[in-house]
Amino acid sequence: MDTQEKLKILSDAAKYDASCSSSGSNRSNSKNGIGNGDVSGICHSWAADGRCISLLKILMTNCCMYDCKYCINRCSNSVPRATFTPKEIADLTIGFYKRNYIEGLFLSSAVIKSPDYTMELMIEAISLLRNEYNFNGYIHAKTIPGSSQELIDRLGKLVDRMSVNIELPSNDSLKLLAPDKSKVDIIKPMNYISSKIENNQKLLAPTSKKWTFSLPSTINKSKKEKFVPAGQTTQMIVGASPETDLKIIKLSESLYNTMKLKRVYYSAYISINHDSCLPTLDKPPLLRENRLYQADWLLRFYGFHADELLDEKHPNFNTLLDPKCDWALRNISKFPVEINKANYFTLLRVPGIGVISAKRIIAARRSCSLNFETLKKLGVVLKRARYFITCNGKYFDRISYFNPTFINENLLMLEKRSTPLKSNYTQLSLFENSLPTKGDVVKCITGNF
Amino acid sequence: MYNWKLLNTIFLYDGTFDGLLTIAFNCYVSKQIPSNIVFEKHYLGNFLDTAIYVKTDKEKASRIWNGLYSNVSFDALYNCYYAFLSCQKSKEINILKYILNAFIIGPKITSMLSIDYVLEVMKLRKNVLHESHKLKGLVRLSEVGNNLFYAPIHPDNNVIELLGHFLIKRFPTQNLILHDKNRNLMFLYNANKSTQNNVQCSTYNEANNSIKTNIQTLNNYEIIEVPQNIKIPELSKEEKQFQDFWKTFFNTISIKERSNPRLQMQYMPKKYWQDLTELN
Repeated sequence: MDTQEKLKILSDAAKYDASCSSSGSNRSNSKNGIGNGDVSGICHSWAADGRCISLLKILMTNCCMYDCKYCINRCSNSVPRATFTPKEIADLTIGFYKRNYIEGLFLSSAVIKSPDYTMELMIEAISLLRNEYNFNGYIHAKTIPGSSQELIDRLGKLVDRMSVNIELPSNDSLKLLAPDKSKVDIIKPMNYISSKIENNQKLLAPTSKKWTFSLPSTINKSKKEKFVPAGQTTQMIVGASPETDLKIIKLSESLYNTMKLKRVYYSAYISINHDSCLPTLDKPPLLRENRLYQADWLLRFYGFHADELLDEKHPNFNTLLDPKCDWALRNISKFPVEINKANYFTLLRVPGIGVISAKRIIAARRSCSLNFETLKKLGVVLKRARYFITCNGKYFDRISYFNPTFINENLLMLEKRSTPLKSNYTQLSLFENSLPTKGDVVKCITGNF
Repeated sequence: MYNWKLLNTIFLYDGTFDGLLTIAFNCYVSKQIPSNIVFEKHYLGNFLDTAIYVKTDKEKASRIWNGLYSNVSFDALYNCYYAFLSCQKSKEINILKYILNAFIIGPKITSMLSIDYVLEVMKLRKNVLHESHKLKGLVRLSEVGNNLFYAPIHPDNNVIELLGHFLIKRFPTQNLILHDKNRNLMFLYNANKSTQNNVQCSTYNEANNSIKTNIQTLNNYEIIEVPQNIKIPELSKEEKQFQDFWKTFFNTISIKERSNPRLQMQYMPKKYWQDLTELN
């Protein structure tokens, strides 16, 4: 089998992994080396589904010994199988990287022979890249559940980011749909990686005493010992099992708090396999995935808690309004917010005001007081925000309009306007009707209508 | 805030950042600002205007540069420089006002977004950096000779130098030709900088209108102007194979059930597609 064919099979098998980011690592280039990390991450292309391509996303092999119900590579499926050699992976990565097609490598794998054997293959490929080819670009590697800690250690020192996929957000679903994996197999490496990262950061952190003088040799030594500098992530499938949004978002919150994860990815379930345990969906639940991402951002950057967004009575997100608007309308007593006085975290909770706008408002109001005009100039989008703010005590229109039903209706209108309306009306045409009759012409001339 | 005397003249300059800084120096000394500043080649004479050509003076320019850097702030200087790289027509006058008032207001100016020209400069800077960041990902190098890589780009703003620096840092061992086809500029980089006297650099050869790879230069990179119909060397065999690999990868990685061409176009505007290997 030639490389082209293998590439086709193994990238096709890897495409269901949602993770694509290349951010968080500032690995610098070495002498005569190739590549460096970019902290903000760089997207190199966008596929026809609108998802960014920033890493060469491939599997080491798709010959799997497990039989997870939802997965395309399960052993009971008859799909073409292939395995890359470590050298093929390294050559392909360097060839793509040199031409600036990619930001680095995302290496994952099906489980071949045993978790440890698979991990060793992956480590071989990655250490070839790092040590032989002097590659300093971004590498994201997937940890195989059930592999030994010693191998995780070795892999962690070579890569920028590591991830273990949870896939199913509860133990019951895991038992039903992924009978070969267990909760312990997944949580244990995640815990281990997060504690290692924390220790490593403490080790690398500059000491607070300014006068401490450190020898160059010690700096080099600590540089070598970098462990997963871009942190770890995970992924959950949405819609394959019966969990509610509340349960998923609660799990994410605890992952962010206890394991200091960088990201949790949500992947709308796509019916690839037919099985009695799996739901049959015509389309992947993309709107639900979108709402989960919106809520995820609220958790990470806006200081929200999962309990504020959803509760037992409302276990799923509103399909019509985004989570922040929904929250604001349920807590209308906290509004309107005065733009010239409110603190950063209060501003962040206004629908339509994000991190950038909030920072800009704080910076700009130091030099002058702000009104709706200046807000617009600053680039703050007032489409949603204007219902929830006052500028120097003034509401955007009559203050009697500040009531939840009015705002709710207007926000729903905004949502509708962004999706094309199906209407019965058509554009009038001059030429559509039949030509005027002789009688019409006479009427026009005589003025006798 | 200081009141500058508004002149009824238009200043012309040579299109370089130094030229603009020279104008800023003259204005600061005479406490006057022109009604507009125009790049000499873009200026169409007008019966009603009085236009004065200001000759670039490196010394005056460097005084403004150093003044901004040490008396105002690094940020203010770079805001002006990035804004200058923009393709917008009326950028010069806003940058001039920004520079002159920066000396009076001080480092605070970077956050005073309620002033028109400050906001305008910030917008230009954002636009330039945004495009340069996007192109960092979208520029495609193709191997045209032994370890020589060529990349055509069609950017709106003049980002060739920003992009060149990024690529040099990332691929220090590859010889590079970056070609801005909208401006007919070429960024040439020579990887063997250690032997400064006998450098093998890829350079434009005027005699037969093609790129030559063994002419001596002193710097390890330079930006030159080239004619529109310059000949580009042919791709190597290995290059074609990797382009095929890349196309295969690009096509298989997208999920058909999630197809969303509008989203793709939103992130990757069609104006950039002509230079992308995977879409041609």
